[in-house]
Amino acid sequence: MATMKFLCDTKRCIECNGCVTACKNENDSALEWGIQRRRVVTINDGVKGEASISVACMHCSDAPCMAVCPANCFYKTEDGIVLHDKDTCIGCGYCLYACPFGAPQFPKSGAFGARGKMDKCTFCAGGPEENFSDAERQKYGANRIAEGKLPMCAELCATKALLAGDAEVVSAIFRERVAYRGSNKNVWG
Amino acid sequence: MNKWFKHIGVAIALLFSVSVFAHDAPKVGDTNEVNGQIWAQLKAGEEGYTTSKSEFHGQAINTYDLRVLELRSDILAPALMAALFGMIIIFVLFIKVNGISKLHGGYSGKLVYRWSKFDVSIHWLGAIPCLLLILTGLTLLAGRFFFQPYIGEGVWAAMVNGAKQVHDIMAIPFMLGWALMVTLWAKNQMPKMYDLKWMMVVGGYINFGPFKGKHPDAGFANAGEKLWFWAFAAFGLLISASGMLLLFPNLFEPSRTLSLIALVLHSVSAIIITAFSIVHIFMATVMSEGGMECMVSGYCDETWASQHHNLWFDEIKANGTLKYKE
Amino acid sequence: MKLTRKSNAAPTVEKKTLGLSRRQFMKQAGITSGGIAAASFLGTGMMRRAEAKDIPHDAPTEIKRTVCSACAVGCGLYAEVQNGVWTGQEPAFDHPFNAGGHCAKGAALREHGHGEKRLKYPMKLVDGKWKKLSWEQAFNEVGDQMQTIRKESGPDSVYFMGSAKFSNEGCYMYRKFAAMWGTNNVDHSARICHSTTVAGVANTWGYGAQTNSFNDIQNANAIFFIGANPAEAHPVAMQHILIAKEKNNAKLIVVDPRFSRTAAHADLHCGLRPGTDIPFIYGMLWHIFENGWEDKTFIEQRVFEMDTIREEVKKFPPKEVENITGCTEEEVYQAAKLMADNRPGTVVWCMGGTQHHVGNANTRAYCILQLALGNMGVSGGGTNIFRGHDNVQGATDLGLLFDTLPGYYGLKTGSWKHWCNVWDLDYGWVKDRFDQNSYLGRIPMNTPGIPCSRWHDGVLETPEKLAQKDRVRMAFFWGQSVNTETRQRDVRDALDQMDTVVVVDPFPTMAGVMHRRKNGVYLLPAATQFETQGSVSNSGRSQQWREQVIQPLFESKTDLEIMYRLSQKLGFADEYTKRIAKDANDVLVIEDITREINRGMWTIGMSGQSPERLKLHTQNWGTFSNKTLEAAGGPAKGETYGLPWPCWGTPEQKHPGTQILYNTNKHVLEGGGNFRARYGVEYKGKNLLAEGSYSKGAEIQDGYPEFTADMLKQLGWWDDLTAAEKAEAEGKNWKTDISGGIQRVAMKHGCIPFGNAKARCIVWTFPDEVPVHREPLYTPRRDLVSKYPTYADMQVHRLPTLYKTIQDIDSAAKYPLGLTSGRLVEYEGGGEESRSNPWLAELQQEMFVEINPADAADRSIRDGDTVWLEGAEGGRIKIKAMVTPRVKPGVTWMPYHFAGEMHGESLAPNYPEGTVPYVIGESANTALTYGYDPVTQMQETKASLCQITKA
Repeated sequence: MATMKFLCDTKRCIECNGCVTACKNENDSALEWGIQRRRVVTINDGVKGEASISVACMHCSDAPCMAVCPANCFYKTEDGIVLHDKDTCIGCGYCLYACPFGAPQFPKSGAFGARGKMDKCTFCAGGPEENFSDAERQKYGANRIAEGKLPMCAELCATKALLAGDAEVVSAIFRERVAYRGSNKNVWG
Repeated sequence: MNKWFKHIGVAIALLFSVSVFAHDAPKVGDTNEVNGQIWAQLKAGEEGYTTSKSEFHGQAINTYDLRVLELRSDILAPALMAALFGMIIIFVLFIKVNGISKLHGGYSGKLVYRWSKFDVSIHWLGAIPCLLLILTGLTLLAGRFFFQPYIGEGVWAAMVNGAKQVHDIMAIPFMLGWALMVTLWAKNQMPKMYDLKWMMVVGGYINFGPFKGKHPDAGFANAGEKLWFWAFAAFGLLISASGMLLLFPNLFEPSRTLSLIALVLHSVSAIIITAFSIVHIFMATVMSEGGMECMVSGYCDETWASQHHNLWFDEIKANGTLKYKE
Repeated sequence: MKLTRKSNAAPTVEKKTLGLSRRQFMKQAGITSGGIAAASFLGTGMMRRAEAKDIPHDAPTEIKRTVCSACAVGCGLYAEVQNGVWTGQEPAFDHPFNAGGHCAKGAALREHGHGEKRLKYPMKLVDGKWKKLSWEQAFNEVGDQMQTIRKESGPDSVYFMGSAKFSNEGCYMYRKFAAMWGTNNVDHSARICHSTTVAGVANTWGYGAQTNSFNDIQNANAIFFIGANPAEAHPVAMQHILIAKEKNNAKLIVVDPRFSRTAAHADLHCGLRPGTDIPFIYGMLWHIFENGWEDKTFIEQRVFEMDTIREEVKKFPPKEVENITGCTEEEVYQAAKLMADNRPGTVVWCMGGTQHHVGNANTRAYCILQLALGNMGVSGGGTNIFRGHDNVQGATDLGLLFDTLPGYYGLKTGSWKHWCNVWDLDYGWVKDRFDQNSYLGRIPMNTPGIPCSRWHDGVLETPEKLAQKDRVRMAFFWGQSVNTETRQRDVRDALDQMDTVVVVDPFPTMAGVMHRRKNGVYLLPAATQFETQGSVSNSGRSQQWREQVIQPLFESKTDLEIMYRLSQKLGFADEYTKRIAKDANDVLVIEDITREINRGMWTIGMSGQSPERLKLHTQNWGTFSNKTLEAAGGPAKGETYGLPWPCWGTPEQKHPGTQILYNTNKHVLEGGGNFRARYGVEYKGKNLLAEGSYSKGAEIQDGYPEFTADMLKQLGWWDDLTAAEKAEAEGKNWKTDISGGIQRVAMKHGCIPFGNAKARCIVWTFPDEVPVHREPLYTPRRDLVSKYPTYADMQVHRLPTLYKTIQDIDSAAKYPLGLTSGRLVEYEGGGEESRSNPWLAELQQEMFVEINPADAADRSIRDGDTVWLEGAEGGRIKIKAMVTPRVKPGVTWMPYHFAGEMHGESLAPNYPEGTVPYVIGESANTALTYGYDPVTQMQETKASLCQITKA
């Protein structure tokens, strides 16, 4: 059984935001202005050592959001993808506090800016609704996993910095890159 | 405990280039050093630039002690269950064994003015939301462990959603009641020397052993009530403050870690308030005959007054503020 | 706006299924399909995915192969269409350019199928209100107005602003339209993009284009970026660059005033002062010559007059370079050493190099660096000049320019005769369409028109100073955002003063809304390139055939249809489309246009790329290697993807295309070449032809001039021509023989049709023979002005152009901050289209200026504050401050994609209802200033001055 993971190679990431709009494109039906399931963070911006990394839900093996959710609306698929049920979600925001990656987001609903149903990256695996149903599309967006495809963000990554797939495959690819980088004889600086 | 660290570790490792595989590569000058530095910065919660306008999105990783989560699920949730149901069970057993505190000589029929109408109303302004908050809060903290497995998904969803709505709404009257009670009643709740003695004999409620037959002195409020009052004042403050952070994040913009701390403090306060509430309810209703009347009409029976609050009764008799119901 | 089907022709392609259930799919524990396989560049075969293209569930899905319309990398993708609606976008992992990768713009491409903020129908401004028109009314009114102005002021008073977003066929037909109308007042954004590159580079070695390809950068050992920021402007190019970095340990050197996203990946960043590229390059060359790092054999055989450069470089010792550029001596030395030690190395430049009043000289300096290092004509070397728009290369090739006919033939009488021959038209008829008089000693038909950068000067200048009959009174803005032009206040005045403004575009654009007019503006909704088909040239000269994805949205029409209908109204449709068939709906057969292009474009070898060959390549893009661009097998075996020109001869000759220009290691029939003999055989008694260097298999094993009929006869090769070829070739040369015979025979003998010469370090027809450092017109270093002054004022083609007059004004005291501009990854060009795309607009919601913390502190400005930025000519814009170390103290930077606000006021009320983009903001160009290259009229947007105050 596969265990799905994302990996972002900071040596490759160029902060082009392709992953961000790819997600918007693919999950358009479920997203609104202001909700970005994925974002790119650049540290040391503008100085030597600048590095960018694309961040979204990391589908943790033991996910803090799952642990903290009062409604217990999260579940894990057989592929290790952390999903949630928006019908059960109560918009309390605890998952946002618990998530180390800032993945959960809440549309504003109600007069006092109360939180609506939480939204986060689904690894393009939809939600608890029937695959490809309208309900799934409206609430969660695409279900590429059910189509046998991988998440759009990683698929469209300009420099293949963002990888998605089975943890073993992903790390094998990454290992290969690191090996290449490491074998360089001529060192500059 | 380490499980959490380990699994988060895996996720993070997969996220970044350096951590796991760095040892695979021979040192290649400053590139790896830069890598290591980046990794260290990210782990330390470094904030960066992002085009996203969402909350907290400038920070790639927010690290905190993940034991918070286990504390909630393994300790606080059962503790709140225990504070509610455990206390009820204990009290029921206690009463079975001990019996209740009867009025010596029964009701006098003369009702002494004790609480104003306003006092009664603010009591219930705090009390009813408090009860609802306890029940809904219990659903929110412990429901998924104790209730969800036994009910259908639809019922659970409705229940937890309802709990959230009620909890959010009830918070406001509760805080109002809390604030009024604490400010208006504090002067009667100042600890006195005789309260110590009251404590030593547990208020005289115990009908066996060395405590049997004791009748300690008490003023307007006895030492137990004072303890409850101050616990309520303190933990009410804590629970209100932490609740406000959780309910109005837009207003206070707490950090995620602060929110988690608030969550824990909220639960701890809830456990204490719940336990006290059960005691308070039992004392006022079942345990102490005639006690409930105070918060219904504002008057208490003369016998009850002299038996449980002798110093207060003597005082009002002496200074002429004693008022009977007409 | 709901997505509705516009066509009745229901797509009925049967859906294929993956043949795997989700469960089965997941059970293959190590899924190695798709992106994940493509991610492993180090592996080989990867492209199982396109085969297993699985299809959404319900409606039948049609898959279209299309090409991103943002930058010129040419990323391919699969568009999924259901019931006529563009419902899905899938990565083309098997595409040789991008392997499925996209930047923010490419990944948001499907939004084109929504087009919520598009123009919906033709409109006209009547008394300040937008009024709907029928297309027929629109054509009639616009056509009548053109004829009136023609009668009163001559054909040159109508201006044709074109677009780099047209297909090749659109570009060609637009240029031809202007010719049929009788004017050279036609231009497009290449003027303000790479015009200085085209001029500078073509005059150095023959062609003004990227010499290698994006993919070939994978073979580089050093990559030198100057004024280029591919991480933001050409993100997918970074795929190839980072592969070079990883696999070859290629050294990345970024020379840029700003610490850009590209600099973040560099081994060395040199933050030079804007406008000091030439001293920087000379500073590098100083070390190269000093240490003997130059490639002496290469220079001897293939370079003309390097010694002149050697003399010039002596004026730029390290100390002087440090003083001028602000880069330390060590940095310049390291840059030179890295390039010398890591060969082959490639040089990449973009707008940071070209958009200067010395732009042409900058580009020549970069070329000279590569010539000195011997990096030309080799894999991993070359000058990889990244073009900005998806078809700006094609638009340039097809002469959508004020100074040439398609194929860089120029505007000489011979050039016109060649094209009349191609068009099958009588030269006399075409000539009669033009104004026959001469103005300021210039004949309109043979004089370059008014440039895209200065069309407003064509409106505002007094007619006596113009080398044409009258001012510009009417202009078409056909797919061009005028907010990309500097001096926006003058642009606005010009829009106000014209008789008629016609915007043909999917969006209203600034020309439609920034004026203060009440009448006389037409908005004609054009379809995007996804609503039509046609070929498109990427920066690497490869062409792809974009399939039509959807029918034109709303009432919009394709560019070609609008041109054709207008020509019908104007009465020259028969001549205009003489060789082009029409279908049953009286729509031009696009393939016939491509064939006509092939029939005329001999100069650059755009002659062998028939529509059939292009379609074959695009339909089989998966058979071409991501590494070499060549097809190892399949129907296009042995050919290079997209047949990068020169694809010599006729399509039947099956030339494979030329990925790397001037590469002597290959036979001409395999894409080999050498520097072009374009400027005669000798200059001042010195030999201009190559010495002892020739392409593989050449029968003439030395330099030789370009081929003519006479030369064939002298060589005794004339009889290799067929009788039919002989008839066409007689008296012609390799450029004008439309039979292709001369080219065929030259190549048969292994020779390059354009001859074999040296690259030139001196260009004697330009204002500066060698690149000369001249301080920017608005320079913060007044102390250097006397030593490095600009030009004297001069007349360039039709317009007077100021230099010294401007530089003599000391603005540095009042405007102490250097000002430069650039791109954001989320937006493109004027941004009208990308700011109307919510997926992109959400990411950049505000116009801003980057300012160094030190400068900000001096002005009490904090990050996120609203500020007024005033340009050195007084243009004021109200924007946000981004306080960041990306820029050095004394330098500020702005993105140029914003528009829709001016001087702090919103222009939103001027837009037709429902067309205001999601994001509007001040245009950087409101603050940017005067300054034009004397050769190409490129505008100066990269070195100006400003002052910033807290608002």
